[in-house]
Amino acid sequence: MQTEATPAQADVSELDLVRRCQAGDTEAFDELVTRYRTRVFSMIYNMVHSEQDAWDLAQDSFLKAWKSIKRFRGRSSFYTWIYRIVMNVTIDWLRKKHVKGAGTEFDDAIQLRIDPASKTVPKTEALPYEMMERDEIRARIEQAIAQLSPEQRAVVLMKELEDMQYHEIAEALGCSIGTVMSRLFYARKKLQTLLRDVYENI
Amino acid sequence: MKTFEEKWTAWVDGQLSGRELAEFEASLPDKAGSEAEKQSARKLRQLLRNELSLRTLTNEEFFSHQLRERIAQESGEARRTSAGRGSETSTWWTIPRLLWTGTVSIAVFVICTVLVMHEKNPSEESQYLTQILNARVDPVVSPNATVSMFEVKQDRVTVLWTEGLQSLPADYAAK
Repeated sequence: MQTEATPAQADVSELDLVRRCQAGDTEAFDELVTRYRTRVFSMIYNMVHSEQDAWDLAQDSFLKAWKSIKRFRGRSSFYTWIYRIVMNVTIDWLRKKHVKGAGTEFDDAIQLRIDPASKTVPKTEALPYEMMERDEIRARIEQAIAQLSPEQRAVVLMKELEDMQYHEIAEALGCSIGTVMSRLFYARKKLQTLLRDVYENI
Repeated sequence: MKTFEEKWTAWVDGQLSGRELAEFEASLPDKAGSEAEKQSARKLRQLLRNELSLRTLTNEEFFSHQLRERIAQESGEARRTSAGRGSETSTWWTIPRLLWTGTVSIAVFVICTVLVMHEKNPSEESQYLTQILNARVDPVVSPNATVSMFEVKQDRVTVLWTEGLQSLPADYAAK
């Protein structure tokens, strides 16, 4: 698992920051937010495919983390702990959205296709047709991910993007390692079916 | 005991080794097809990593600022709620206090009533009435005896009317 600080520094100071947060120090929490906000936002964005929703859900996740920081016992890393909160908040949101019969992920993906705020393609270097092509690929990926269940999305993104270990994912999702591996199997199979033509032709 | 899905996932991720790896690969009916699937899964991973790389949070400082505001707001609300709860618990009219107040009120009322009655009666009561009331008529000696009192307060006149007395009580004597 990657962190934005070097591992040794992160481990020591992170625990210290958590202790200060538990004593009510909001500046220490602000420091933790600064460290993880981009990763948390990015993870949520890849699950919900909407910048505004990802922003709101990231806010809700950090707020929930602040409220329950006193219950953090340090048995896992802070990152795994906050990922558990992030996943709970995001999966709940996706379920509620699904119950409301939204199915609007595709709309969001289409909006994203013309979103100039994308940071993955350097604007100064890419040619317009290249940008269009990449945006189209990204839209295809997001449409494919949107067809996975919230739990499958979470598992595949944590594994493939964050390179988290099975036990870390299991801890973040509150399930067994076997469940994580099983979900990963079905999520990959589905994505392979939906995206094979994309990655075979690049 | 791992399921096929679990073993497959571990195999694709390179998590199988030694005897477990050999056993799993031996159990695959189509080795070449499985290897192709493994490569396909790895290409998928590469595609996801390339296209869904870390998405920069625009307005990072505003994000933190907004969060600080929300935390401050939540903390304020929490304080108000706990203060509200505190004032609820210190409410004067708790059940014991209510009982205590009721008891005290009744006691005060009874004391006042007794005092008022006590104040009222002695001055208006005639001396004779007091004596007659104190000197009880013996029912054996005078079984049909009755004592009646008539009184006009403004004239300060009291008349005692006795009937059927066989004899007057020994202590009945006007002072």
